[in-house]
Amino acid sequence: MKRSVLLVGGRSKAKALAQSLLQKGYQVTAVNAALEDCQKLAENGKLSVIHGDGTKPYVLEDAGAGRMDMAIALTPRDEDNLVICQLCKKRFQVKKTVALLSDPQKTEFFYKMGIDSVVCAISAVTSIIEQQAFVEEMAKAIPIGAGRVQMLEIPITASDPVTGKQVWEIDLPKEVIIGCILRGDRNLVPRGDTRILAGDVLVLISGSNREAAAVRALKGDSKWRS
Amino acid sequence: MTIFQSKKPAPYTIVVGCGRLGANLANTLSDQGKNVLILDRNKASFRKLSSSFGGLTLEGDGTDLDVLKEAGIPQANTVVAVTNNDNVNIMIAQMARELFQVGRVISRLYDPERECVYRELGVDTICPAVLSANEIDKLLGKPGAAGNEANAS
Repeated sequence: MKRSVLLVGGRSKAKALAQSLLQKGYQVTAVNAALEDCQKLAENGKLSVIHGDGTKPYVLEDAGAGRMDMAIALTPRDEDNLVICQLCKKRFQVKKTVALLSDPQKTEFFYKMGIDSVVCAISAVTSIIEQQAFVEEMAKAIPIGAGRVQMLEIPITASDPVTGKQVWEIDLPKEVIIGCILRGDRNLVPRGDTRILAGDVLVLISGSNREAAAVRALKGDSKWRS
Repeated sequence: MTIFQSKKPAPYTIVVGCGRLGANLANTLSDQGKNVLILDRNKASFRKLSSSFGGLTLEGDGTDLDVLKEAGIPQANTVVAVTNNDNVNIMIAQMARELFQVGRVISRLYDPERECVYRELGVDTICPAVLSANEIDKLLGKPGAAGNEANAS
């Protein structure tokens, strides 16, 4: 059976998401309160479109919320997204609900209210920009677990203070470990007595907001001051 | 002798939304001598308050956690969410209940169908449509002011 997904609200986001989900073989239904947006969405022939306010239970019922595997709330208003997800969850027993959130302060609150996945556009974008800004320090940073954990790839150069040191000598923050060392074409799993050499690339696993401290410990203070 | 009463913190009510209902409620509470703060994102709404209103007013968005904190929500005993948007009322009520553990949370819902969202949260709801329907139903069972044919016998 095809997995079905309900998209509520959102104009270009809904359209792009619907397209990509349809391509992956999902059955997609979109609900939108603006007629104009509905017409835009309906240009995609495979997408079922319902015109109505998705925060109203009978509109969700019309859209077949009861047989959906996943509901994604994309309206620009946080309160609407909260209500959409809660209605889907409590009234229509949708297994997985995803809400878009504009106020990053409410992330925890949304999770507490039973929403399975909260996507905060502002935090996501700011963290990407932050990453890009420090791209010279870090080749890559991958957020895991809604950004609570980061995996960082850090190249070590000869001028870095850790070069030549053994792993146990490095004063890393508690929440950070060196998961792997890439040396040439070999991967080492580091032990306390492994020596770090220039040209190594360290793969760090870091708790949230400890990345800066970790990089400071590895590359010295000065580079993070600017 | 009120002087010797033990000092309990005075009950404190926050009303979110200064519409007709919110303003009326705030006026009543203030007249009863209770501590009340009324919150609205539009300053002009406060003109609905009576000139004798002795509570506090705060201009700001009631769905913003910082604004709620500024309104002193951790000290509040009661929060009443009566903005003109059901979903805003639902979210404020849930934040008051879950994040700030406010003892009594009441909110107004125009659409009674959304009530299932509240039920398990200990949030009381007032639904104008249901209340009016009940009242009209009651009036229909009673002799009207002008005397109607129901008791013409």
